[in-house]
Amino acid sequence: MSVLIATILIGLASGSVYALAATGLVLIYKTTRILNLGYGAMALFTTFIYWQFTVNYHWPLWISAIVVVLFIAPAIGFFLDSQLFRRIEDQPIVIGLIATVGITVLIQGVVFVIWTSKTQTVPSLFPDGSVKIPGGATLGLDQLLILVVSLGAVVLLTLMLRYTRLGVAFRAVVDNRPIAGLMALNTNFISGLAWALGTSIAALTGILITPRLLLDPIILPFFIISFLLASAMFGYLRSLPLAFAGGLILGVTQSLIARYGTFRGMFGRLGNATPFIMVTILLLLAPRRLRVASTGGSFVVKTRELSAHASQRVRVGVAVGLFGLLALLPTLVTSVSWQRSLTTGMIMAVVFLSLVILTGFSGQISLGTTGFMGIAAFTAAHLATDLGWSSWVAFLLGALAAVPAGALIGIIAVRLHGLFLAMLTLAFAFMAQTLFFFDPTISGREGSVPLPRPSGFHSDTRFYYLALIVLVAGAIVAANLRSGRTGRVLAAIRDSETATRSLGISVTKYKVLIFSLSAFMGAAGGILISMQKESAARLDFLPFYAMIFLTVAVVGGLFHIGGAVAAGLLFGLYGQVFSSNNFMLNMQNIFFGLGATLALAQNPEGLFGELRRGGNAILRAFGNGRGRAPEPLPVAGGQE
Amino acid sequence: MSTLAAQGVTVRFGGLLAVDDANLRVPEGEIVGLIGPNGAGKTTLFNAICGFVTPVRGAINFDGADITKLAPSRRARLGIGRTFQKLELFHRMTVFDNLMVAAEAAASKLDLASDLMHLPRRPREERRCAEIARGVMDELDLGWAAERRASDLPVGTSRLLELGRALCTNPKIMLLDEPSSGLDTRETHAFGQLLQRMNAERKIGILLVEHDMDLVMEVCRQINVLDFGRMIAHGTPAEIVAEPAVRSAYLGEEEDDAPATPSARG
Repeated sequence: MSVLIATILIGLASGSVYALAATGLVLIYKTTRILNLGYGAMALFTTFIYWQFTVNYHWPLWISAIVVVLFIAPAIGFFLDSQLFRRIEDQPIVIGLIATVGITVLIQGVVFVIWTSKTQTVPSLFPDGSVKIPGGATLGLDQLLILVVSLGAVVLLTLMLRYTRLGVAFRAVVDNRPIAGLMALNTNFISGLAWALGTSIAALTGILITPRLLLDPIILPFFIISFLLASAMFGYLRSLPLAFAGGLILGVTQSLIARYGTFRGMFGRLGNATPFIMVTILLLLAPRRLRVASTGGSFVVKTRELSAHASQRVRVGVAVGLFGLLALLPTLVTSVSWQRSLTTGMIMAVVFLSLVILTGFSGQISLGTTGFMGIAAFTAAHLATDLGWSSWVAFLLGALAAVPAGALIGIIAVRLHGLFLAMLTLAFAFMAQTLFFFDPTISGREGSVPLPRPSGFHSDTRFYYLALIVLVAGAIVAANLRSGRTGRVLAAIRDSETATRSLGISVTKYKVLIFSLSAFMGAAGGILISMQKESAARLDFLPFYAMIFLTVAVVGGLFHIGGAVAAGLLFGLYGQVFSSNNFMLNMQNIFFGLGATLALAQNPEGLFGELRRGGNAILRAFGNGRGRAPEPLPVAGGQE
Repeated sequence: MSTLAAQGVTVRFGGLLAVDDANLRVPEGEIVGLIGPNGAGKTTLFNAICGFVTPVRGAINFDGADITKLAPSRRARLGIGRTFQKLELFHRMTVFDNLMVAAEAAASKLDLASDLMHLPRRPREERRCAEIARGVMDELDLGWAAERRASDLPVGTSRLLELGRALCTNPKIMLLDEPSSGLDTRETHAFGQLLQRMNAERKIGILLVEHDMDLVMEVCRQINVLDFGRMIAHGTPAEIVAEPAVRSAYLGEEEDDAPATPSARG
């Protein structure tokens, strides 16, 4: 009995931190309608400042904590809001989500550059020692004090919201931002304040949990995001009290599983997957009102998409020329490492293409790409290694193995939209990783399974051509998809699902189709990645990479096939170009994170859009206006 | 017989009874009006007929078959087309593509593989459907806007485009939800004539939800009046004008406008 009580108390202690952090997340979401996936990264960054003060400067713990939580963190939050998030305020909700993914990648890059990518220990604010609880079990003093501090912070927050003038203004903005603006409230100031407050809470969260968890720049942000989303989802991102309760429930559940769960095999890792299992269940059970209302309908960007495009003939000509150049590259570039980087670029272009057809063409979103890639790579590896099947067959069957998962998400996408759909795909990637890819029977004892290259394509140069062939095939299918009947229907669904249904078109069928196709393409990319390294490794399919992929695809240009190729080359060649420049290598994540966020704020068509604009200008100069001049089209609003 | 009939349809939103035991019939090739004050439940009844809202009681029959349980897309395939009060165009696509999507939905026999691999079948089917789309475009005088983006159109043209989009699916009956809102008097009149022409030439039945009484009186042979979710009158335009219940509920005699209940609207 006393063990049970102690287990529950431990759960409540960690749960209270989750609860505290979740209130911060929901507060930001409700005031600014941005679901901040960068929350964990913000906690990481502020905790590193705390670490800097305490460990390197030897400042007293409490002073450091107060300086970070009350001064530095709010300043960072205010800065992010005024410099970035206010600019994408009227964009569809999913754009804000991708921007916060960019923030995550950016902040992580900054931490790597300023500090380290190695795990650090953080001193605890609280003294060592333990407390006896009735019944005989003991509880760490720090755990008890964490419970006290986080409950205290939440009570303070509640009192502030309820009884101060500022709190009233806050609640007004939360209820209805435009109306609050009409009531002469400075809504910008309030949203900045929400970000400041949210970042403070993120800092406090980091400082409270890292002494026990270790400060790991790679894992911490995603650990925090996983429990945060699960907690916040209890209130469907809308209710502060329910998010708080969700945090406590999650903490206790995890603690109980850790103490009493005696599962073996796959279920042994159930504890790690708990947050995302909860997210999935809650999303599937979400009441219709919440599923539909203001979670951001389709993914629609305010873009001048229909503006300037050259004639069909010119575009085909440019495409043939570009791919021809890519085909000649191995004869021009003989350096082995350059060829390898180019191959990586081609493979990644296939992966980015799967995002272009899903998000750019069809307005759906997926943060679960790595899930599809991993399923395919491990299936192919086992078919080739265990059963000794030909790598060609393994390739095809492996890619097909990801299709049912894609189809399932497509079916769910009929019910879930925008933000909630993004959450579900993220949960899928995490569950695939935790439950399957990290299972020794799937990824082997060393974490990887051999996957030979197909016969005839063993050499690096030959393999480059294999990647290029897959990419060209994918690009042709994508081009036909966009220009044909299927593409028109997908674009129609993106603009209005209701109208599409009213014409007798089954939206379900097309959503299943596009998610399956995108999964298949991503899967082909995943298999190629593994074949290039001649093994499928579990560390190649971390959910975090799906986020990086999305940011890179945005930088390249999410709305065009050419954007995927540009993104692939960018991704593949970045490391090669700067191979002798350590600083630029470290800047990679900053570059893509910042690039994605800026691209979304300034030019949603990304690098490819810029290139095309330049190309059209040249065409106009030489070809007597064969490239149509960009009409100053009014910008279409997002569907919300 | 492509007759549409709603029998005893009741729709509830939480505690609100939006449509209460409503009966409605649109005989084949007829133009029937549905009028009523704001919040009377017209759009809700409309949505129940199209399948976007599920009635708690009642049945909807079309062509002699019970379609109460069918999904909206299935009903559309049976020949029920509609437009929307709040425009639902594919706003980032061109006018032509808006029509093309509809034409292909109804007429294209293109399979996925031929489409994605650009097999010879694809241009053939596309040409056939493009002809349908172009035919409707000419019929509605939309040719000048063919390559314009739908979001760039003035309201009048947008309404026409929605009508054209529904026409491309070659429906047996069309449900028009306040097509004249946003149109001026002249445009409304022209729209009325267009409806009558469509009805005469294509033998399409029309259910018209409308605020503009002139338009309703001009084109409808039968009118149903809905008030607070209940059908309070039914008859020819002349009978409706004479009906005292209608005069008090709708034409505003004796009492002020009925209170609006916005949540009951689609």
